[in-house]
Amino acid sequence: MSIIIRGARLIDPGQQLDQVTDLHIKNGNIEAIGDLTGLNAASEINAKGMILSPSFVDILTYLRDLNQIQKGTIVSETQAAASAGFTQLCASPDTQPCSDAGSVISMVNNKVVSAGFCDLLPVAALTKELKGTQLSNMEALARAGCIGFSNASYDISDNNILLRCYEYAATFGLKVFVQAQDQQLGDGHMHAGATATRMGLDGIPVIAETLAISRHLLLMQHTGVSGHFNQLTSAKGVNLIRQAKAQGMNITADVGVAHLCFTDTAIDGYRSQYHVQPPLREETDRKALLAGIKDGTIDAICSAHQPHESAAKCAPFAATATGMAIYDMLIPLIQGLVDAGDLTWALAIQALSYNSAAIAVGKTPKLSVGEEANLTLIDTSHYWTLNSSSQLSHGTNQALANQNLKARVKLTVKRGLVSYQM
Amino acid sequence: MHNLAELQLTKNGELRHFLTPEGLDRLMLERILDTADSFVVVGNQEVKKVPLLRGRTVVNLFFENSTRTRSTFELAAKRLSADVLTLDIKTSATSKGESLLDTLQNLRAMHSDMFVVRHGDSGAAHFIAEQVTPDVAIINAGDGRHAHPTQAMLDMLTIRRHKGKFEPLSVAIVGDILHSRVARDQIHALKTLGCTDIRLVGPNTLMPQGIDSMGATTHNNMESGIDGADVVIMLRLQTERMASAFLPSAGEYFRLYGLTTERLAQAKPDAIVMHPGPINRGIEIESAVADGPQSMILNQVGYGIALRMAVMSMAMSGQMQQRQAQALVSSSLKGEAQP
Repeated sequence: MSIIIRGARLIDPGQQLDQVTDLHIKNGNIEAIGDLTGLNAASEINAKGMILSPSFVDILTYLRDLNQIQKGTIVSETQAAASAGFTQLCASPDTQPCSDAGSVISMVNNKVVSAGFCDLLPVAALTKELKGTQLSNMEALARAGCIGFSNASYDISDNNILLRCYEYAATFGLKVFVQAQDQQLGDGHMHAGATATRMGLDGIPVIAETLAISRHLLLMQHTGVSGHFNQLTSAKGVNLIRQAKAQGMNITADVGVAHLCFTDTAIDGYRSQYHVQPPLREETDRKALLAGIKDGTIDAICSAHQPHESAAKCAPFAATATGMAIYDMLIPLIQGLVDAGDLTWALAIQALSYNSAAIAVGKTPKLSVGEEANLTLIDTSHYWTLNSSSQLSHGTNQALANQNLKARVKLTVKRGLVSYQM
Repeated sequence: MHNLAELQLTKNGELRHFLTPEGLDRLMLERILDTADSFVVVGNQEVKKVPLLRGRTVVNLFFENSTRTRSTFELAAKRLSADVLTLDIKTSATSKGESLLDTLQNLRAMHSDMFVVRHGDSGAAHFIAEQVTPDVAIINAGDGRHAHPTQAMLDMLTIRRHKGKFEPLSVAIVGDILHSRVARDQIHALKTLGCTDIRLVGPNTLMPQGIDSMGATTHNNMESGIDGADVVIMLRLQTERMASAFLPSAGEYFRLYGLTTERLAQAKPDAIVMHPGPINRGIEIESAVADGPQSMILNQVGYGIALRMAVMSMAMSGQMQQRQAQALVSSSLKGEAQP
């Protein structure tokens, strides 16, 4: 397999590379970078005006399947992930059955491998059945290939248990992933603010996040465990992470793309497509999240992709399922931020690829000769409409359904092979 | 902002659903009040029926317990000569969405013309109007803590009949603002009708975040909150608020926020006292005030039937106009298709 991508803008944040040139892929690796006029390959792509970067690593996604095939299958959702430029996925352990045992994780992994679109970076349950009472077999799960441990969106409210989880993980140098939201204060349906009050929906105050972040930070500091915070939502939350990093704590954090693009006012009119957990907050929070990416407080952008069948979103707001199907609209959403001047593609690529790979596998990707070819090519001036025939995810919870969108992945390459092509 | 006018009105600007006063203009709210005024007279006649809804089917769908609201809606529909079916539907917490959809689709298949909906989830009536049965008129009889538009509008009717214009009035709403669907709609309606001094009185635990953005001022102190007020609206305090730690005790609440004769003296001498009922004597209001000359509590009940008759007849007529317009369009389309 030999592919030449001609005239693309190569962006590699690790090397401060931002240059228009050609790239040759051969035998799974990057064979050459530079002016390749005169060289021919079996497959050639005119990528003028497009962006070529290391492929993306999703630090948080939901693969469904198993007992949730009405929401999406591993085939459909990993293909959708490839179409958004991802080659590696950290899937939430919140599967049915729960990913707290090697057998479930290897079953999921086998399905991902046979689908062939992406690689799985398994995150296992921190406690058995995510119940927050008994530790999972962390050491064995890590040996079986799990890259970290998470209790998904289930808060462990018992400090004794949480302390032991962290002590045990620290013993073996294992990483914990945290969705920081206090269980009791988080018992609501959207951000506590003027919109929730007007609509009469139970609010989740910012203190639900900041209280939980503070508690996790103290326990992480006390135990020395390496921690990663999933899906920050608030300006105050970003500040806590900023302060902790300034103190030299070994932590990282991500933000969901939905929280970078939408605010609580999108829910006006009981729009269940915007019913997500943790909740969308206010414009000042959204701006603070973007600032957090710029100054390095927030390392990564995750999809938090959660496909649902249509019935799950068709009910009075509080009774609807939480989560958004993100993959089909991820690139247009990022392009929207770039067009609005909120983000640059270089920063987005750093957050989607370079930093998320560093967090998940401790190794950063590189656009240089001899490296394995894991690449994403984005056509940033492609206009298209998101609808049931153009989307790949089985999720019908597409917030931007039937809208005209800008930008799309042209090509995703995994270990030198095309895993998605528009 | 979501277009609530578009959802509630026909293309010609007639009412077809009544979900909340939010989004409706002053003219529409005044039309509702004017129509209700005319029905107050009907209630005083020997024969209380008018034939406005003859041959129409009204279904009262009560997913939540309610005796008063349900009976006043039933009475209002009967006085309009409608065929009335009242269903008490208990929902299980796990299958709310499914059972709601199924129930509604079944009732729609029976060619019902109007649903009066009371549901525990905020936005339930909105959901039904928008997504389930757009061709059936929906009257919101209370959804979660979001809205209770007929209660709010009957309160407006009470105020207008006893105080006249809204512009110069100071209105204090006292008590559990957090859980009150009535308070939210009262604020929308008062603002739209021209009232500029709306005060919310209660402790911080019962005051929702960001409520001031709706155009009201908040007061923790009862005395300053009702000082010089023309209208004092007391909200019902559910006893479960004590168990869930919003308040220490009914006694302390009454001491701080209960409306007594002495406290009422802080308001204007001709101030009126209102309460959506049922009242908790000795918790939010003293008996001497509830039964006193300034109390409008029983007048409100009578106005409630008139107001509901007004809204039901207006929404039914808007819905019928819309159906006729749609039938006209589809028959003309068919006509074009034929050679």
